[in-house]
Amino acid sequence: MRPALELRDLCKAYGALAVLHGVSLSVPTGKLVFVIGPSGSGKSTLLRCCNLLEVPQSGAVLVDGQDITQAGVDLNRLRQQVGMVFQSFNLYPHMTALGNVTLALRKVQKLSKAQAQADGLQALARVGLTDKANTYPGQLSGGQQQRVGIARSLALKPKILLFDEPTSALDPELVGSVLQVMRELRESGMTMVVVSHEMGFARAAADHVVFMDKGQILEQGSPQVIFDTPQHPRLREFLTALGQR
Amino acid sequence: MNSAAPLSTLDRFLFSFFNPEVAARYVAPMLDGMLLTIGLGLCVIATGLVLGLTLAVVRIQHVRLINGIIVAFADIFRALPPLVVIILLFFAFPYIELSMSAFTATWLALSLVLAAFTEEIFWTGMLAIPKGQWEAARSTGLGPWATLVQVILPQAVRMTVPPLTNRTIAITKGTALGSVVALHEVLNVSSAASSEAGNATPLVMGAAAYLILFIPFVVFGRWVETRFAWKR
Repeated sequence: MRPALELRDLCKAYGALAVLHGVSLSVPTGKLVFVIGPSGSGKSTLLRCCNLLEVPQSGAVLVDGQDITQAGVDLNRLRQQVGMVFQSFNLYPHMTALGNVTLALRKVQKLSKAQAQADGLQALARVGLTDKANTYPGQLSGGQQQRVGIARSLALKPKILLFDEPTSALDPELVGSVLQVMRELRESGMTMVVVSHEMGFARAAADHVVFMDKGQILEQGSPQVIFDTPQHPRLREFLTALGQR
Repeated sequence: MNSAAPLSTLDRFLFSFFNPEVAARYVAPMLDGMLLTIGLGLCVIATGLVLGLTLAVVRIQHVRLINGIIVAFADIFRALPPLVVIILLFFAFPYIELSMSAFTATWLALSLVLAAFTEEIFWTGMLAIPKGQWEAARSTGLGPWATLVQVILPQAVRMTVPPLTNRTIAITKGTALGSVVALHEVLNVSSAASSEAGNATPLVMGAAAYLILFIPFVVFGRWVETRFAWKR
């Protein structure tokens, strides 16, 4: 079966600083791919290339078999299929939770106000925040804000969801609620790429784990293989430093 | 022998500054002056804010040549005293066959100055919006223009309301500068009346007129600031 997302030989550099050296990765439909690695290893850049928030210098990004780095791709339409959840939530502070979730429904998908509200409320229900629909982000906890962030992407009915360190900005006791939502998404069959340091979650929920360092994928495999029988010395070192071994 | 009784200091003060007879004589021209000041002020505010916002929105598109021009405009008109601009427009431009009325010269000068400040205020406001806001909006499929209109500007405007109201008030008060080109606004009317009457009462009336005009404006500005603040 054709993978939902495929990266072929991606290269990205900021001036003289190379961040990605020919990275290739395949994300099968309905699977959760987890990307780990030290900071500065290029994992966030890799994720941001998947919806072209960063444009790679060379290589291909295939969504459903279509190379989105080619000219003539309708980026705005594509981005609705590849949702993104950010480390710092990036909710719009001047809009309610429901306003955040429905903005793109109204302005990009051009749904009627009633339809957008219905879809938005449905998305908020999936993250357990129906009762916060009319609350502004500033009055929500970090965990709730991140769940609104997830609902904002989810409302667009994406094929793939990208998570860029979704729990790194949260207090430890708020992490659980966000991971719970991600677990439920996985069970519903959502294709997900997650960059995170939540190793426990990776062990429990990931289908495939990718270890990156210095802009390259050094090792990948099932969580058991990566966490229990790591081969690459750099991965062993990394896991030891995190207390995972 | 009481007819020659000298006026007390208080009486002299009241006679010079709060003279009801003199005041009554100049009520009508003062009202005309106030109307003109209001009209001019509203024109300046409308033109200055719209032009300033437009320039800021053009500048955020990051076209180098155009930005150079906008920055030069903003720097020049923030540096020049509004009075100098008025005098240039009114007294110098006729030499190049470009005469304008006192009203037009004052309106144009103050609008350009207000636009220059407004552009800078909006521009810094837009820059202060975190990059993540652009990224979040773009990654849900909003185009650059929709992102600007729906996400960036509403936040930038709210953030810039206090400096913007302050600057708008300061520059709109500059309508008084129109008196140097014989515009019949409040200050000009009251100083002319005061010379004619040989009494300071019309100047006091002028000051009162500015308070009547601008205190509601200041209060309105404060209301806008509260109204536009969002819940944090």
